Amino acid sequence: MLKRPEFITRVLLVLTVIGLPALILGYQFVLRPHLNSTRTIEISASTPENGGFQPASFTVEAGETLTLRFTSMDVTHGVAIGPGLGIDLGSIDPGHIKEVTLTFDHAGTYTFYCNTWCSINHWRMRGVIEVRDSLNPNAFPANQVDPVIAALAADGVDIDATTHNGSMNMDTTAMLPGRPSALRGAAIAVNLVIPTELQDQAWRRSHTPMQGIALLLSYNANASQTDLADAVAYLWVVEGSAETRTTTAQFYAQNCASCHGETGGGDGFMAAQTTETPVAFSDPNYLFGMRGDVLYAKIRRGGMGTDMPNFGTLITPEETWALVDYLWTLSLETDERTTGEG
Amino acid sequence: MMRRLLPKRGVLATMFAMLLIAVWFIQLPASAASTAHTLTLDMRQFEFTPGRFEVQQGDTVTILLTASDVVHGFYLDGYGIEQRVEPGISQQISFTADQAGKFRYRCAVSCGTLHPFMIGELVVNTNFPFWRALAMLGVSLIGSLVYLSFGAKQS
Ligand code: HEC
Ligand SMILES: [Cu+2]
Ligand SMILES: [Cu+2]
Repeated sequence: MLKRPEFITRVLLVLTVIGLPALILGYQFVLRPHLNSTRTIEISASTPENGGFQPASFTVEAGETLTLRFTSMDVTHGVAIGPGLGIDLGSIDPGHIKEVTLTFDHAGTYTFYCNTWCSINHWRMRGVIEVRDSLNPNAFPANQVDPVIAALAADGVDIDATTHNGSMNMDTTAMLPGRPSALRGAAIAVNLVIPTELQDQAWRRSHTPMQGIALLLSYNANASQTDLADAVAYLWVVEGSAETRTTTAQFYAQNCASCHGETGGGDGFMAAQTTETPVAFSDPNYLFGMRGDVLYAKIRRGGMGTDMPNFGTLITPEETWALVDYLWTLSLETDERTTGEG
Repeated sequence: MMRRLLPKRGVLATMFAMLLIAVWFIQLPASAASTAHTLTLDMRQFEFTPGRFEVQQGDTVTILLTASDVVHGFYLDGYGIEQRVEPGISQQISFTADQAGKFRYRCAVSCGTLHPFMIGELVVNTNFPFWRALAMLGVSLIGSLVYLSFGAKQS
């Protein structure tokens, strides 16, 4: 026969040992998900060598509100989701949590990716969000063909050709006298005859600035090479708002600078470790021989076998053009570059 | 006879004391102007390059901080300067090295297993050149010797 106090003690003991954990676990896994109407997906981030994002892919319903909660397991990572969502959670230090609540309106495929350099394989650190629409299952967009890349292929331009194997459609015959200046060019262009081709964005995007200089020369035979180069520089960078420039500069700093260099010198700390040396956008003699649409295609598709990553699943075509516009400025007079810090 | 020719002990002591003060305060061309240092300090797992550097007290120091693998941070003990650095986005800091001594700089962002051992050292030398200290030592040594020997003769 147990004495009464002893009986009460035993009951209390059993309650604390079993009841308390049951209560906590019950709250965390049963009650909390029910109280929260939004679905929460916990994603842990480690370097790609240690598994990258876990889970690396999941499926959600269009219209469903969900919360993504990211934690870092080793070093600092960063998270952005694209294309076209404009979500950038910034960096996530080890042991910290960042979360975002969002609703996808349409079916499609989205990518969440690390945007803070975290390892040699950093750029492989990506995850996929499949958004389904069970009400109209046929609404899932088919694999879309990029019209710009398709047009290049139709034109017979090989975007797999690299500057290194020499087959790139680069026009290296003309050498520029120095770094062009778009600021000087703006003043010079007023006094020049500008052919309609050069005023047409589509023409400029499918021709190299060198070709632009040659065309401009045929209309302005007396102008100096420097003046022509400056005027072309102005025509090539005139588009785009200052705000787009700044966000693009920041995107470049986060995602490209480690290889291509902060100021485009092709001298980022990763440059020694890629299969091919990243090109130097700061060299006008290289960059002015490139077509904008080829740069665009390379950024979206990546450089096969060179270690140039593909960015087509992360950013929209508009954001890619903004990057191309930004790359031109890297070859200009040093003070005409926009930096990501300002 | 002898006694009257010799200066008093107190006068002697004052003379040497003034000499000491003169040696202490004399302007040295080298230490008069502070120099400006500019250097690049690179951070990678798990070291700083350079891991140690020296400046003179009063110098201005400008450091371009770069991170070459993951996010690191620069924290300078004593001065309390902290700057986070992301790879590809270098940061510039500058300060005046007004405190003399040895100061550790350490990584301020957890960057991996050996993160706690990612440490460097800044040495801020005092503007008290060696030979000045030596001169002071000499003056006080001679002073006390003279003082003592005169004291011995007087008694
Ligand atoms: C992992 C390193 C790495 C990163 C990150 C990287 N690149 Fe590259 N990139 C390369 C390499 C390597 C090449 C190949 C160079 C060649 O063509 O030989 C290249 C080539 C290119 C080319 C084509 C150049 C040509 O003439 O063929 C463009 C344009 C380009 N990168 C833009 C970018 C942009 C914009 C970003 C950021 C959004 C970026 N890259 C990020 C390594 C990188
Ligand atoms: Cu990462
Ligand atoms: Cu560190």
